[in-house]
Amino acid sequence: MFYRRWLMHYLKRPVVTSFPGRSDPDAPARGPLDVTANALFRQSLTLRQLDGGSCNGCEAEIQLLASPVYDLSRFGFAVSPSPRHADLLLVTGVITEAMVPVIRTAYDAMPEPRLVVAVGACATEGGGVFHGLPGVVGRLDAIVPVAARIPGCPPSPNDLLAGLLAAVGRPAPTAVAR
Amino acid sequence: MAERVTVGRREPHATDALFDTLGKMAHDGTALLHAYVGAQGLTLVAAPAGPGAPEELVLGPGPFARPTRTGHQLFWGVEHALPAAVWHHAGRRHPVRGRGLHLMPLGPVRGDVSESLAYQLVVLGDEIHQVRLRAGYKRRHVVEAMAGAEVSSALAVAERVTGTSPVAHALAFSLAVEHALGLAVPAADQQARLVLAELERVTSHVGDLALLAASTGTVAAAAEWLRLKETLLRFQAALTGHRYLRGVVGPGGHRRPLSGALSALPALVAAVRQQVDGVAGALEATNSYLDRLHGAGRLPEYADGAVYWTGFVGKSAGLRRDTRWDAPYADYGALTSDLAPVAVNQPDAYGRAWVRVGEVRQSLTLLSRVMEAGPPAAASSRPPARCGAGVGLGRVEAPRGRLCYRVEVRGEHLVAASITTPSQLNWPAVPLALEQRNILQDFPIIDASFSLAVSALDL
Repeated sequence: MFYRRWLMHYLKRPVVTSFPGRSDPDAPARGPLDVTANALFRQSLTLRQLDGGSCNGCEAEIQLLASPVYDLSRFGFAVSPSPRHADLLLVTGVITEAMVPVIRTAYDAMPEPRLVVAVGACATEGGGVFHGLPGVVGRLDAIVPVAARIPGCPPSPNDLLAGLLAAVGRPAPTAVAR
Repeated sequence: MAERVTVGRREPHATDALFDTLGKMAHDGTALLHAYVGAQGLTLVAAPAGPGAPEELVLGPGPFARPTRTGHQLFWGVEHALPAAVWHHAGRRHPVRGRGLHLMPLGPVRGDVSESLAYQLVVLGDEIHQVRLRAGYKRRHVVEAMAGAEVSSALAVAERVTGTSPVAHALAFSLAVEHALGLAVPAADQQARLVLAELERVTSHVGDLALLAASTGTVAAAAEWLRLKETLLRFQAALTGHRYLRGVVGPGGHRRPLSGALSALPALVAAVRQQVDGVAGALEATNSYLDRLHGAGRLPEYADGAVYWTGFVGKSAGLRRDTRWDAPYADYGALTSDLAPVAVNQPDAYGRAWVRVGEVRQSLTLLSRVMEAGPPAAASSRPPARCGAGVGLGRVEAPRGRLCYRVEVRGEHLVAASITTPSQLNWPAVPLALEQRNILQDFPIIDASFSLAVSALDL
């Protein structure tokens, strides 16, 4: 039965957001991203998310990247279930002691060249409100080299897309009129 | 059908004896709860019962609670909070014996986008025979962060226990502080609390349904649910300035007023209802979706009465427990009198999805009722000065079930806090549901049908 609904959608206007969302009410202007631009990935990019002790907020927003509104795949990005197939590791959350060996293992499993992006206030600001608690390491760049930091608690999918494109040294597409 | 094979040398598990006891006592819920609590080394704190409310219980650390920083706690098959070095070098390799049995480790990096949690699946071919969860990877010491902190900073921590349900956590925390200090809340803020809590429930359930549809391969439905979720999140951002409604609810009154976008709520509710009816109705007629859900991850009968399943896990097992009815808070007492909690006696993946669709519809009804009665005044009240000291309890129905906060407050500071999250109560159901002759291909569906938060389990 769903195929009928599916086909009906082809008659409608697409819902993909204009990028980076000049007409998007939900894209507050943020400061410049802390990014080491990397021009290694021009055609496609495979992401792997790794939760280093998050509140699930960043994960919820990363999941929304696959929604038709943001549609990650139109930039050639895809999400991988394994770090072995990933070019880019998205690390979220305060970094807990228990996750340090996991992050290192996942990073070592990634093929070269590889990038790590810290996502969210916890990963970029040393644990956020959890700074200094037992078991909270807070610093991601002490474990793996960090190529970019995407702030926000949680960062909106627009911020994530802008940060990801900056991390791979690609210009942000100009806004498309809807 | 293959004969059920037992694991050759299974490690003695602290919960095995407990399960036996619970199976025998399945008719007496209170005794079972005490057994569960005793096994965890916790004590029961009796809360003052509201008018007509049944006895309410919340778990707090008891005198025999094991140290949680370096030791480990066992409950219901969930091995909890092991120190990093111990689990990583020794914990992952359990001896598995038995002809044809394999141990399949999964996690903590698993799935497409997921939280850190390790599963250990003992499988015979495709059939899952035993499941253990290994949690404790992402323990942030939330309770320790709250103890000794100022109320405002403890509230900021509470909102980050589970990032997708900050209203429920802030509300439970606020109710507990108000209970401890005897603070009164203006009527307008009470109404607005209900609006925020129900919006959060709708958003959370729609997101869960999207993941469930995606796990069954119904990508078109998943896309529609996700688009609906994004619509709701944008409305929430316009209403409060935060996509997940953070920073509004606080002890004694709102910290920030709601914006004028509130006047658009009735139109949004109508649009969401139409969309939910359309997608849920189409899914009800999609066999490839229904076939995967019916019978998948069915909770065994002996567990139904034995365990305090809460939220949609409990409601799908026929337990009509809902804090909004049992111990009304905010404005629920007046609005829910002619409604009943959505419940069905079908404790499988389909039942859990069905309950959530029903709850979304019910929440939309509640929202339109509030707006018909007159929208809550947008003005924010100045929170009253917090003075005095006391112990308070706050109970709310979070999107995933009952959430309890117990706080000890002295003036502006929190002396101690303890939290019981719905995910803590419901995670033990996941291994139980998986072990019921499900196959590996059903694993993502069953996992998605529970959609529990690991961040609220590890705390």
